[in-house]
Amino acid sequence: MLGLESFSGLTKQIQLACLVSTAQKLAIMFFFAALTYGVTGVGAMLLMTLLANTHLGKDGSGKHGISIAESSRLGGVAIAIIVIVYIAGLSLMSPYTSGPERDDTFLYLWCAVLFCCLLGLAEDVKPDFLTPMLRLGAKFAVLGCLFWLSPRLIPLSIGFYAVDLLLNVPIIGWALVTVFAVGFINALNMADGANGLVPGIALASFAVFFMEYGRPMDGALLFACSIFFIFNVISGWYFLGDTGSYGLGAILLSYGLLGVTDGHFSAGFMAALFCYPCVDFMVSVVRRLRAGQSPFSADNGHLHNRLHHFIKLRVKSSVMANSFTGLIISGSTSGAVLLVYLFDILPSESGLWYILFIVEVLVYLATLKYLTSIQPKTQYANPA
Amino acid sequence: MRVIVYFIVAIGLIWVGVLESTSSSVEDFRRYSDDHVLDDRTRSIQRVLAVGLVGDLVVSKIISDGRDTVITEGNEEFSLPSPAFSGNLGASK
Repeated sequence: MLGLESFSGLTKQIQLACLVSTAQKLAIMFFFAALTYGVTGVGAMLLMTLLANTHLGKDGSGKHGISIAESSRLGGVAIAIIVIVYIAGLSLMSPYTSGPERDDTFLYLWCAVLFCCLLGLAEDVKPDFLTPMLRLGAKFAVLGCLFWLSPRLIPLSIGFYAVDLLLNVPIIGWALVTVFAVGFINALNMADGANGLVPGIALASFAVFFMEYGRPMDGALLFACSIFFIFNVISGWYFLGDTGSYGLGAILLSYGLLGVTDGHFSAGFMAALFCYPCVDFMVSVVRRLRAGQSPFSADNGHLHNRLHHFIKLRVKSSVMANSFTGLIISGSTSGAVLLVYLFDILPSESGLWYILFIVEVLVYLATLKYLTSIQPKTQYANPA
Repeated sequence: MRVIVYFIVAIGLIWVGVLESTSSSVEDFRRYSDDHVLDDRTRSIQRVLAVGLVGDLVVSKIISDGRDTVITEGNEEFSLPSPAFSGNLGASK
């Protein structure tokens, strides 16, 4: 009897500790939201908190990346709601004319983004609703249509003579950019495995796009991604989900291509900005093929898996270990590019950004090699 | 039921930022077209409370870039009394 009472008391103490911890996290999140974006930030944070607590789109512990807690996959939905509310308000009540109303390229671009978001939403709400091959085919179809209808998005020069020659042949250029685009969106989805990793990359990218162009849509995306970043890093209760990674992937890809074709950014700048998802994707495919596995099979050999394993042995809190992993990777890649851009060290259209990209790749490979040498072998899972 | 109320409150709070952005934008456009002054709007406590410290920078950037957007897009809903502006408007069309 005494044993049961002490067990019950211990359970209550654990529940109380969890409640205090949750309340502290909420207080910190709302404080940062209020500091950065005022009453509007508090509203966005409240919306995210409510969506994170709905039963829809819940991910079991250990199912997503390196997280070990039950979390929501509706982060992308929350970002989409905030951006839609903001842009709808601006369109209705100010002289702002949205991109799709002004320009056909933006109309097709946002239709493709919407389609990618819906594709991801189906997967977030009902996992395995669509087979991986069907999703891949759908992405090829929609992005192929986008580049067919908007050839302006296809860059004609990225600084490499042989590639530039191929890009200047319309059909080959279209095919190459479509394959690259599908790969990029999948790469961003694959990299979404640590708190603050993809949100950090998206945040840095939208900050760059907003500072360069000052478009209200970029401002709304910057706002929504900032709030999501704060929420994701502090609590770890939320993931972008497929809605977020597909949608943000499509937006970042299109904005990046548009920036390169218009000559505002060099291809080297974009390579350095999006270095982690692209390089991690390529290295993962090579690793799987060398191990005789399918390139689509999941494994735990990503740099963020390895780094998290390294950090969690040294940090007590699992959320902090997860968030440190994401922050270190996104900060040392996209964050570094943002800083160089912010302090105007290199012009955004300079070809010298490739040097920064090469440095990032070398650091990635050296870190991965070191961590692989001191950690257990990579484990592979069959594709879903 | 309570969750729906919270959702409405959340959307309402986001609308505070929308209203602040749009009112600042329209007010700026009026001052710009009337006085032809390109000064940055002084940071008001009301705007900082509504959109925060980072949001204030974002809104200011949207407004300053919006001046160019309105002129280059030739938005006909807004009158631009200065002949200099009319010239720009005509050129963009």
